[in-house]
Amino acid sequence: MIQRKPYDFMVKYQQQKDWVDGRGNFIAFAFFLGGIAGGLFLAAAYFDNLLGMFIAFLLTGLMGASYMLHLTHPMRFWRMVLKPGTSWISRGFTFIMLFGFFTAITMILMQWAPDATAAITTFKVLAGIFAFAQSIYTGFAVSYVSAIKVWNSAIVPILFVTCGLSGGLAILLAIMVGQGSAQIATLENIIRVVLIAFAIIVAVYIWNATYSSTAARDAVVRLIGGVLAPLFWIGVFLFGIAIPVVISVITYWVHDASSALLITAVVSEIIGGLALRFAVLKAGVYEPLLPSD
Amino acid sequence: MRWGMAIEQKRCVGCYECVLACKAEHFLPPDIFWNRVLIGESGKYPNVTKLIYNVRCNHCADPACVKVCPTGATQQREDGIVWVDEDKCVGCRYCMVACPYQARQMYEDGDAQYFPGQELTEHEKIGKELYPHKPGVVTKCVFCMERIDAGLAAGLTPGVDRAATPACVISCPTKAIHFGDLDEPNSDINRVIKEKHGHPFHPEFDTKPSIYYID
Repeated sequence: MIQRKPYDFMVKYQQQKDWVDGRGNFIAFAFFLGGIAGGLFLAAAYFDNLLGMFIAFLLTGLMGASYMLHLTHPMRFWRMVLKPGTSWISRGFTFIMLFGFFTAITMILMQWAPDATAAITTFKVLAGIFAFAQSIYTGFAVSYVSAIKVWNSAIVPILFVTCGLSGGLAILLAIMVGQGSAQIATLENIIRVVLIAFAIIVAVYIWNATYSSTAARDAVVRLIGGVLAPLFWIGVFLFGIAIPVVISVITYWVHDASSALLITAVVSEIIGGLALRFAVLKAGVYEPLLPSD
Repeated sequence: MRWGMAIEQKRCVGCYECVLACKAEHFLPPDIFWNRVLIGESGKYPNVTKLIYNVRCNHCADPACVKVCPTGATQQREDGIVWVDEDKCVGCRYCMVACPYQARQMYEDGDAQYFPGQELTEHEKIGKELYPHKPGVVTKCVFCMERIDAGLAAGLTPGVDRAATPACVISCPTKAIHFGDLDEPNSDINRVIKEKHGHPFHPEFDTKPSIYYID
């Protein structure tokens, strides 16, 4: 165990470790899985892709499993719905359960009662609302923490939901390539727009953090030029933005892009999304106990 | 009623008695500290100042930890004391992340003992019966609420009568720690804070800490 030096604790920024070390890794995975599950469902619902919805449902199950692994007393998980008034974890847990419930009903209706269009639409909309809520709440859970300035930003929920959507769209692309869908070109156009939006939001988030406080600036320095630089530049920038954008541009000009190229973009996008969650969580630093003056 | 502390930095000699008293009072396991003494220096030779800060949960009037707790395990009493119900905590660590003062710890290893490989000490054996800490939950200072409650029931005044006052306060050999009711205008603690210009750490987080420091 690393002993914290009192002197460091008093005067230096301290990295938060409760949500990235040991069991803390699982909450980063949970946030990532929740984001892409929500994004995938929204994309699959738009394209009426039942398999996409089913995979979103499975990913939500994995998110729940990751949450359970994060908890030291997982058998008490039911208690996590008791404080939706103030706790984002509690709200998120409620969103996850409702998303799972409405998605299950939607899929059952689509599979076994395809003529019940009114009911399918109703449940699909409800599931879509909670898919969005599941995707964005992880950002609110992080941004609510005022003690960590680089997290305490209104951009974080937008960043997380955009990242989740881009990951979800990428997975749907893989599904539709496998199915030989005729709507791949439409999906690719949506992915291009979301990827550009994601890159802009990442840039705005980093730029904004450098101006918000000294603690946030310290976190940004760690992120782009410090110990977290490999995670940010290779994970978030290269895999999450650069490779998918380059492939998107290539597929724009070369209309008959190979499946291998598209799958590369999908895998790259997923790695980037996971790296983003870890990068943001690892960048969180506390103010020193004593004021700098 | 809102219990609070005022700590006079210049009186603290860094003897760690408050830390030991807290550990003994609550039979705290190894590696768990509800109360810490942080010692460091500032400046450059020959103009160096030794810094000694005695820190613990600030029992904020508007605590972030209570808000973020998804289960209601972290609670605030009417007298302002923030405590954790061990039977309700799921160990999500959101409260640890949200606390600006990093005053919370996760008690993970329930088998940890002060002298590994040897028999438990008498103190540890008694502690496991009298004050059994449950592993896998978040733990923190409770302002010795058991002492306060028992003292009030016996007609005593916390901060004045030793039996009703937190262990760290009564154990301090230099009387550096004052304890009392922050809502009582004429209390000793309010007088000390007012006369000696007490200030909380990081008021910008707006959690309204109940511990004041006097430089």
